[in-house]
Amino acid sequence: MGKVINTTNPSLQWSDVLEMINDSRIDSVGLNERVNSLSTRSIKKDSKLDALNMIVSMCDLTTLEGEDTEGKISQMVAKAIKPDPLDTSISSVAAVCVYPSLVSIAKEKVSNSNVKVAAVSSYFPSGQVPMESKLLDTKYAIDSGADEIDIVINRKAFLEGDFRKVFDEIVALKEVCNDVHLKTILEVGDLKTYENIRKASIISLVAGSDFIKTSTGKLAIGSSRQACYVMLKSVLDYEALSGVKAGIKVAGGIRDSKDAIRYLVMINEEMGSDWLSPNLFRFGASSLLDDVLKQIKKLKTGAYQASYYFPRG
Amino acid sequence: MIDIKKTYKNYVGGKYVRSESGKTYTKELKNEFYELPLTSKKDIRDAVTSSKDGYKKWSSTTPYLRMQILYRLSEMIEGNKESYVELLMDHGLTKQKANKDIDESIQNIVWFAGLADKWEQLAGNLNPVSEEYFNISHQNPIGVVFSLSGSNISLNELLMSILPSLTVGCSVISYSEENSVVALKFAEDINNSDFPSGSLNILSGKFENILDDVSKHVEINLVALHKELDNDGLKSIEENASESVKRVFSQPSIEGLSSILPYLETKTVWHPKGT
Repeated sequence: MGKVINTTNPSLQWSDVLEMINDSRIDSVGLNERVNSLSTRSIKKDSKLDALNMIVSMCDLTTLEGEDTEGKISQMVAKAIKPDPLDTSISSVAAVCVYPSLVSIAKEKVSNSNVKVAAVSSYFPSGQVPMESKLLDTKYAIDSGADEIDIVINRKAFLEGDFRKVFDEIVALKEVCNDVHLKTILEVGDLKTYENIRKASIISLVAGSDFIKTSTGKLAIGSSRQACYVMLKSVLDYEALSGVKAGIKVAGGIRDSKDAIRYLVMINEEMGSDWLSPNLFRFGASSLLDDVLKQIKKLKTGAYQASYYFPRG
Repeated sequence: MIDIKKTYKNYVGGKYVRSESGKTYTKELKNEFYELPLTSKKDIRDAVTSSKDGYKKWSSTTPYLRMQILYRLSEMIEGNKESYVELLMDHGLTKQKANKDIDESIQNIVWFAGLADKWEQLAGNLNPVSEEYFNISHQNPIGVVFSLSGSNISLNELLMSILPSLTVGCSVISYSEENSVVALKFAEDINNSDFPSGSLNILSGKFENILDDVSKHVEINLVALHKELDNDGLKSIEENASESVKRVFSQPSIEGLSSILPYLETKTVWHPKGT
């Protein structure tokens, strides 16, 4: 895998990546301080309601289990289209996220709504298969109609220091995706250090990812605001270099509205309101959506809600 | 000897916690000032969250074990009888009255402990129907109960506002205003009696601060008021509660078997009899 193919940015070379990742030093004390200072903003009632509605529109409603069936996907898609059937002012979510074998079912169920279908591929969540299989997996998802593809980076290669291999694999998968939206999962829980998260972010971005995503949601350590901060800085640096605005998806362990709002505050403060859109920021969620719906209803009625009054999915 | 003062705290989810608001209110006993946690709306929400969890654990505990845990509670109180009597006397009760109150408390716990594995036989029923079916009225605990204790200084009255719902498997959020020193002391014995965390939460404060939140909270299934409220207060609670079909009982019976009936929900089961 010698040559560099980069479909979105042919001008960028492997040497640009090397230059950027060799310079990955992060002041973790300063970073924690900054992230924590951004988490204490008080959000007033009206802004909170706007934020919660925005979170709904940014959700990728996800089910990635061996037990997923057609019935379960159908139930989830119904919820994705109308998260709260009793409150039509709430928009549908951004996308549903499923395994490749369920894409065609999901695609059929979303039919005319504006909910997209995302598929995890490249042997999510471990990615421990030969490249041929990853390509096949991704092709299958795209042929089945996926609008977005979530791939995992090759953590084996990354942790062994073979950054080039990580890069080339993403480039090859991006080529398969072509116009289909590519989200690259770094799995920050496996990367351990902020420096590694930055390196993986840069590699993924230069290789042509449209989004970088924190986690698979399959590890005990999911997303953290710190990891997201490192990633957003990388996205901004990449924008300065290439002029391309890439997106960020946070997933894994974000369960309540309060936490989700803190992410939005951070994105707004550090990246600007351009990123406050489902086109550039997403939440991967299964339980988050329920809490957000509960909080929206609480703000509107004044009464704390129970999950069993909302659709399952 | 230096007199070491105790910090009274709420008991939520099996832990002693200060009010999240950091606020307290003061109660004067025998020329001493007691600072008690002034429960905030957030504390109530936390208590409901832990009660939901506690309900799962407590209602799935076998009746036999529930009986043992309740009995254990009576033993704990008996062991600490002197300190309870002293505390009641600090509140102005005579020694005789204080002793009587604790003795009655212990007897009542033992009575409810005995009921723990018998109430379903007494409250449930096999109903006569004309077809070839068994028709059973199966009794289930209602869920998370909020109980406002009375204004008298008494351990026994506090217990009678808790035991009926607790015995059938409900989790209870017990809220005291005047009786709060006794209630928060009682939380220590709860902690030592193997109750699953969250099954019984003890809070103190001013009821008017949280009245709205409690009556509107969808996840509280029943509100029991063991204190006389004015008509306006009661009306607003009932109106708020109606939104989530929450049961509200004002001064429910604490006599015998009838005391547990408000906390039960009947599930009707049909089963083929065979011939």
